Amino acid sequence: MSEQHQVEDDDRVLIQRMASKDANALDVFYTRYNRIAFSLVFRIVRNREDAEDVLTDVFWQVWQQSSRYDASRGKPLAWLLTIARTRAIDRIRSMGRQDLHNHQQREANPAPAAPDPVIVSATRGAVQEALQSLEEQQRIPLEMAYFQGMSHTEIAAALGQPLGTVKDRIRTGMMHLRKRLRPYL
Amino acid sequence: MSMKHTELTDDLQERASLYAAGAMTEDERLEYARHLEEDQCPVCQAEVKELQSAISFFALTLPPSSPSAAVKIRLMEQARGNAPAAQQRPRGFRWVERVSAALAVLAIAVAFVLSRTNTDLRHQADLLRSRIAQLEVQLAGQQNTIAMLTSAGVRVVDLAGQGSNVQASGRIFWDQQQKRWFFSIRNLPPAPPDKSYQLWFVPKTGNPISATVFNTAADGTLSVEVPVPNEITELKAAAVTTEPLGGRPQPTGDFALLGAM
Repeated sequence: MSEQHQVEDDDRVLIQRMASKDANALDVFYTRYNRIAFSLVFRIVRNREDAEDVLTDVFWQVWQQSSRYDASRGKPLAWLLTIARTRAIDRIRSMGRQDLHNHQQREANPAPAAPDPVIVSATRGAVQEALQSLEEQQRIPLEMAYFQGMSHTEIAAALGQPLGTVKDRIRTGMMHLRKRLRPYL
Repeated sequence: MSMKHTELTDDLQERASLYAAGAMTEDERLEYARHLEEDQCPVCQAEVKELQSAISFFALTLPPSSPSAAVKIRLMEQARGNAPAAQQRPRGFRWVERVSAALAVLAIAVAFVLSRTNTDLRHQADLLRSRIAQLEVQLAGQQNTIAMLTSAGVRVVDLAGQGSNVQASGRIFWDQQQKRWFFSIRNLPPAPPDKSYQLWFVPKTGNPISATVFNTAADGTLSVEVPVPNEITELKAAAVTTEPLGGRPQPTGDFALLGAM
């Protein structure tokens, strides 16, 4: 079994233990992934204090919803990051654009840290390569959607492009990412 | 859209892509989420699963950063306060708990008798002081490492396994202010008895410069701090080669790890 598969199996066991309210399992899961989840949340909300609030909510949701985790619907890390992204986007929407702009002005660079140790470096390298191989016209709308929570209509307006073009580029970009990352999905 | 699809069309693929990327409008998102949950459409669920996994990898490309320790403390206090005590252990183990409790009482009684001997007490105190001193040294070392890893002038360089060591990986945290590397390795098997590994600074011009000679532990890992000479400012790469025991002034063996700066 590959190192990556072993990590995923361990993660599923941790989620099962959380579902039976084993707080030690939450402790381990948090230790494994707090940095990647925090990096994502911080990238979206751009403010350390808010990012830490959101991060608490994210792992609390993991703890509360662990019994509803369905392994057939995705890997544990993808599940966690989907929750993290959703909670962070909810936060910036609740802040309103003006507050968001002020936050982004105020704090743009978090303190660097070592990456979460269980994320295999080969995976990280493959992801870097996959993203670098995306054409800019596909990467930009994807990042606007994923990191800024912008809908296709907002992206089309911001880029001055037809809606159909934006939708097509998002679809094409996603297909490209999936193709390049298939061994890790 | 109240139905289960039987095959994936371009239109369905586009909807799944927009949903996974978070690019739907709010109305579209709610309707599509309902389709996934209530209709239990296997075609769309499978597509969304893969695409959400793919897009979530965006997070792996972000510079890692750490939340403050207060987040974990708050989270764990919440979780431990919420954990029902009755669920922490199965009912069938109550007799074990009773025996354990009895043993604990016995242990306390024995400890009480022993503790009445002043010599034992002094010995225990000495052991504890020694242990505290060890932990303080460990803690200081870890704090030093954390301070280095989180300081502003740190560059991170990844090294990839080469040749027969393709499974190996390395990472350098280059503290440019303090002029040192914190170098770690995973999955690099120990060198044969007549060989050593050697880490090299590879300047943009001129010959490589030896950084250190080492061997990995039985589990293929290494963590070591390496001073960076003052004259080294611009590098094009860092490399690990396999050399005769004790290392060589210039690399002669195969690459085990290589990373571009």
